Amino acid sequence: MNPLLLFLIPILPLFGGVINVCFGSRLPHRLVSGLSVAAVSGSFLLATLLWPLGSGEGTRVVLFSWLKSAGFQADVGILFDPLAAVMTLMVTGVATLIHLYAAGYMAEDESPARFFALLNLFVFAMLCIVLADNLLFLFLGWEGVGFCSYGLIGFWYRNSKNASAGRKAFIVTRIGDLFFAIALLWLFSAFGTVMIEQINARVAELDPLLLTGLTLLLLGGACGKSAQLPLMSWLPDAMAGPTPVSALIHAATMVTAGVYLLCRMFPLVSLSPTGMAAIALVGALTALYAASCALAQREIKRVLAYSTMSQIGYMFLAVGVGTVSGAMFHLLTHAFFKALLFMGAGCVIHLAGGENDIYRMGGLKEKSPQVFWLFLVGILCLAGTPLTGGFFSKDAILLTAFAAGDGFYATLWGIGVLTAGLTSFYSFRLLYLVFFGTARQAGQGHAPSPLMLWTLPPLALLGLCTGLLNLPHLFGGHEWLTLWLGQPMAEMLPVGTEIGLLFLMLIFFVGGWVIAHVRYRTFPGDEQAGWRSFLLSGWQADRVYELILLRPYRAICRFCWQGGDKALIDGVMEGLARLCLHWGDYVRRLSNGQVAFYLQGFAWGLLLIVGWFLLASVK
Amino acid sequence: MIVPLEHVLYLSAILFLLGLGCVLARRNLIMILIGVEIMLNAVGLTLVGASAFWQQIDGQIMVVFLMAMTSAEVSISLAMVVYLNRRKGTVDVRAFDELRG
Repeated sequence: MNPLLLFLIPILPLFGGVINVCFGSRLPHRLVSGLSVAAVSGSFLLATLLWPLGSGEGTRVVLFSWLKSAGFQADVGILFDPLAAVMTLMVTGVATLIHLYAAGYMAEDESPARFFALLNLFVFAMLCIVLADNLLFLFLGWEGVGFCSYGLIGFWYRNSKNASAGRKAFIVTRIGDLFFAIALLWLFSAFGTVMIEQINARVAELDPLLLTGLTLLLLGGACGKSAQLPLMSWLPDAMAGPTPVSALIHAATMVTAGVYLLCRMFPLVSLSPTGMAAIALVGALTALYAASCALAQREIKRVLAYSTMSQIGYMFLAVGVGTVSGAMFHLLTHAFFKALLFMGAGCVIHLAGGENDIYRMGGLKEKSPQVFWLFLVGILCLAGTPLTGGFFSKDAILLTAFAAGDGFYATLWGIGVLTAGLTSFYSFRLLYLVFFGTARQAGQGHAPSPLMLWTLPPLALLGLCTGLLNLPHLFGGHEWLTLWLGQPMAEMLPVGTEIGLLFLMLIFFVGGWVIAHVRYRTFPGDEQAGWRSFLLSGWQADRVYELILLRPYRAICRFCWQGGDKALIDGVMEGLARLCLHWGDYVRRLSNGQVAFYLQGFAWGLLLIVGWFLLASVK
Repeated sequence: MIVPLEHVLYLSAILFLLGLGCVLARRNLIMILIGVEIMLNAVGLTLVGASAFWQQIDGQIMVVFLMAMTSAEVSISLAMVVYLNRRKGTVDVRAFDELRG
């Protein structure tokens, strides 16, 4: 098969997006959504067909040279290795389903062309990240997804809250991008190339200190995109966007770009023990932080946003303990069940008549059993119910962390297990509050359209079954994904220990469920205790940032504005002008129209000149 | 030359300063014109004195021209004074300050 066909994978969505940008507003709505769905599903089909190209070493193709000057060269090239192949298939597959869902969800919207154009362009940019064979091309996609995310979060920009959420996401991720850009330049100055393959092949030449610096910078970039501590505060606010956007960008694809980047650069990252420890620590802490915040959230989409953050924390932990296959495995299962949950949440919001607050929902199970069962599948995967996809992937990560041995990683493992318990609790809390108890919503909801409903079952199926992809030996599997990615097999723990750990996980899962069951099976009434509002606000993260970053920043700005610009520059300028004006006024009085006065001037002048010559002649 | 040149020069300087003082101090337009005439004549006197001193005719010719010019100037100036007096009903120079800044 012609490897150049690989380029069609990103180009199709780009094409769809460009057509929608140029002509979308004049086309009928159905054609607009149909076009973008067709573009993305075309990429999905191609990715499936070209799958064999990704095996082994993978395929590298170059379309043309993008930038070339002296020693620097960046191609528009694709590196379709096993990692990229898995990610491409996931991105295009999930994106296709979400585009279909969006076609139903946005049927009533007045400007679908803008929406679908941005969505298509997003898929294009994401595929650039996934497929790029050099870091500069990857960076292009990296910024592209940031822009599309900004445009889509603030899609309903007439509400200023949405627009500012978009800005916040853009600015906060930009801070991370800065680190990534520095890492990029540094890598180029160290290796003289930005090719991912070449860099990864030559990392052993580097000084360990330099490696650690690079790893930390890459981690900073990944943190921004993947909403990890301390750059996490944008993700919950990003839920202001339309639900399909949350499902596609803020759950399944874009936020996992950071994990993907670390996996892509893993040969480099893995050589720095400090860097790896930092990655694992960031991941574990974010997992715990976000899970604790999710306990008290009231908006259905914010619960899911925090859970996304928490699950990505697990993926970071996986990278940090050195298992790329574990991270990718969790990335895949998470993408499926989280897209399912978000799209289910979209249906729930429709059912509840536009209500977002889970304390104002309830009893939706009777209203739509179909949505309930699908949502239940998502919740079970998220909570890590044994034998679902989420269970296997999370378990694989925690097992590796446990196997890493020393006290530091053991602590992280402990945090991971605790987080799993919290996850189970808040997942079931969400389920109980939304679907059980009495109906508390004010508005009259309507059933979601068939298109929305029928895109969910495939995701539910995938979420349940992706566990088979990387089934551990204990369950009779062969870790297919690990083999495909060419990663070393997980260290074999003694079977007894492994079973013991599984039981521990099971206890935490059941514990979380039971507590949620006892507390939320019937509606407990509004809860507004102090610590809940603390968790509700995400540990007051926004206020802390306000205090330590924004206040000083504003103070500096005010100083520059009032002190620098107004007082100093304007003061000097205006002072000069006033001086000239004053003098001008003074001089003006000389010209008083009195001829005698002028003549007097002549006379004095004459006297002066004569006196001067007299003095000169005396000398 | 019987009178020494210095005396002529002193006299004409005194005349010139008197004229200048008149021009500067007086506010009456006619008096100012008279001052101007005195200054012109002081210059004429200097020219005549110098002409006699160096035995050159040029200075005296110049004075003849000066007289002719002065008569023309006076006639025009007086006409203007009459005109200005008709406009403002006064010959005080302080009334004519339209060119002030």
